[in-house]
Amino acid sequence: MPWRRLTVTVLAIMLLIGLLAYGFTRDPRYIDSPLIGRPAPLFTLTLFDGKNVRLQDLRGKVVFLNFWASWCPPCRAEAKDLEANWQSFKDQDIVFLGINIQDKEPNAIEYINEFGITFPNGRDATGRIAVDYGVWGIPETFFIDTEGRITYKHVGSLGWPTITAKLHEAQRSLVSASEGRGSYQPIR
Amino acid sequence: MTRWFILLISFWLIPASLHAESVDLQEQVRRIAAELRCPVCQALSVADSPSEMAQQMRAIIQQQLKEGKSPDEVKTYFISKYGEWVMLAPTAKGFSLLIWILPFVALGGGILFVVFTVRRWVKSKPEGRSMEADPALVQRVKQDLARREDWEVAPDLEGPQASLLRERARLYRELQELELDLQAGKLSEADYHESRQRSEVQAANVLKELGSMVPAAIINPVKEGTAKSSQPGSRRSWVFAATAAFLLLFGVTLGILLSNSLRPRTSPEDSITGDFLTGTSPEVTVTQGGDLESLISQGRDAYARQDWAQAIAAFKKVLSINSSHPEAHAYMGLILAGAGHSDAALMAFDRALSTDPNYAMALWGNGMVLYRQKGDLSGARQKLQKLLTLLPPGPERESVQKTFVEMSNQKETQLAGQATVMSDRIHGTISIEPILKTKRQGGGILFIIARRATTQGGPPLAVKRIASPVFPLSYSLGKENMMIPGSRFEGKVNIIVRLDKDGDPLTREPGSLIGNYHNNPVEIGSQNVNIILNEEIK
Repeated sequence: MPWRRLTVTVLAIMLLIGLLAYGFTRDPRYIDSPLIGRPAPLFTLTLFDGKNVRLQDLRGKVVFLNFWASWCPPCRAEAKDLEANWQSFKDQDIVFLGINIQDKEPNAIEYINEFGITFPNGRDATGRIAVDYGVWGIPETFFIDTEGRITYKHVGSLGWPTITAKLHEAQRSLVSASEGRGSYQPIR
Repeated sequence: MTRWFILLISFWLIPASLHAESVDLQEQVRRIAAELRCPVCQALSVADSPSEMAQQMRAIIQQQLKEGKSPDEVKTYFISKYGEWVMLAPTAKGFSLLIWILPFVALGGGILFVVFTVRRWVKSKPEGRSMEADPALVQRVKQDLARREDWEVAPDLEGPQASLLRERARLYRELQELELDLQAGKLSEADYHESRQRSEVQAANVLKELGSMVPAAIINPVKEGTAKSSQPGSRRSWVFAATAAFLLLFGVTLGILLSNSLRPRTSPEDSITGDFLTGTSPEVTVTQGGDLESLISQGRDAYARQDWAQAIAAFKKVLSINSSHPEAHAYMGLILAGAGHSDAALMAFDRALSTDPNYAMALWGNGMVLYRQKGDLSGARQKLQKLLTLLPPGPERESVQKTFVEMSNQKETQLAGQATVMSDRIHGTISIEPILKTKRQGGGILFIIARRATTQGGPPLAVKRIASPVFPLSYSLGKENMMIPGSRFEGKVNIIVRLDKDGDPLTREPGSLIGNYHNNPVEIGSQNVNIILNEEIK
């Protein structure tokens, strides 16, 4: 009898401790996206050069969609890598698209010039596109396959190996099981 | 005239109805926003948050309502983007239902637990009577029970004897019920014996008390007792009152603590309970607090008011909890640099950068120590250049830019003026591997040895001898340390260091420590030739 009671008590305590430990391992700021594997929300983006880009028109191409701001250090950390990747992928059916959020246009243009970014970039002034994609920390990057489906999402700075691997997966329409994480900055 | 009047009225009414519509829309937006969690601020609703993100979300809610979407459709839109997380109150469906039910289950369970514990406690120690009794009286109790008499006391009887008689009747009833419970299989053998023994002892004690009063009362209980006194029932009500008071107190305390723990803190020293309960002071919380964020802000504050001792205590405490905390290492680096310990400061910055290579404060500190204290302009330039790519435009970046330009100008003048001085020396630091540090007994002679990379054997090109070195140690090897007179101190050399136990450079006794520069051979004139003593001679 005492043994049974003791076992039940110990099990209950272990369960509570386990729950507590699980809670401590989680980043309370982190929001899991329900968008992976689903169709990418459509949008029309006005680029800094005045042209318009419609996501619908990019069907048949893999889209690398990156949300950034000039005031965000992790965005600055990955900027050169993104441009270098664009240079190596631009001749394939891959489109890099940058969406500037929560920023001032002159600062954004200065950032583009500073890092010599040549892939198309535009500003989401109302934040509608960012909310459509459930953006909460930047840089945030979405990989969209040729069918217009989100195959992978990465919160935080990206490096060359991840970009290459995930672009190849998107080309084959392979959906990742989980999101990627790096050093990020919560939006304002 | 009438037409003019109608027109005038309609001019007044149209804006009024528009205004009412707008107020209604605003109220609807506010209601929906109050249910949504702001993704930036965590504990605030979209309605309460002043963040840019929340403003944009409120604008989207308004726009969608104007488009004719219902409040539920608007909420579903946000859930489809951010998941269930975005709802401040999770929906009472599926797994989320548990969140609604569990607190009530826990509360009910808690109350039942307290009630049962208190009841058991009251039963086991009734009025603090002793658990020991006269065996003869216990035997008497058993005999009384076997006779199966009526022990009930008339309700109109009052006084201490009547109270005791009622208590005796209650205990006898309890013993009879125990018997029945055992027969019905509601009670285990072990529990039955335990309870029976307890009740018998209690009953025997009652008999003893009755005996000390009026022996006749035991034989003829119904006719006894006239004095006024408190009833056993009133004791029971006291127990319930105490239980209720305890529960109330518990609830109020919990309520105060919870609401206090969730309130916004006015300062880093502001504890959960506040000073009025704990009397905690900043000094105490530095040594006792476990909250990393609070410790870090205490350290920052202490650093800002130049209270170095407290800042060091706070950051050391942070590092004891999380040994790779970049901010704590960076602050320690700044404090050490301020105190002139440039090598230790550089190590602290390196630790910060090993956790986060883009940590701005560590890059800045590292660059400035290399520039101002070590004169390593190329190293400093490299760090500040990286920092410049990370910093957004603003006063901080301008300040770094200014230092960078100043440093570049100085570099050019130095290169022009001190070319000869820079080109014939080797600079760096020497440290000991942490595992070997514990084995070191202090003292010893440190030899820094440079051998030509092209020749094997023979005497070394240069040797520097340092007695009783303190690590980490910064060194500089130049012409004055040359062993071969007449030769030139230039070209590539292998750098080896040895912490010699007996101080004789020609013997290699066990216990001496050695270390090689990882990038040997090195050009004379090189900077940052940092060596670690990482091998012990066996």
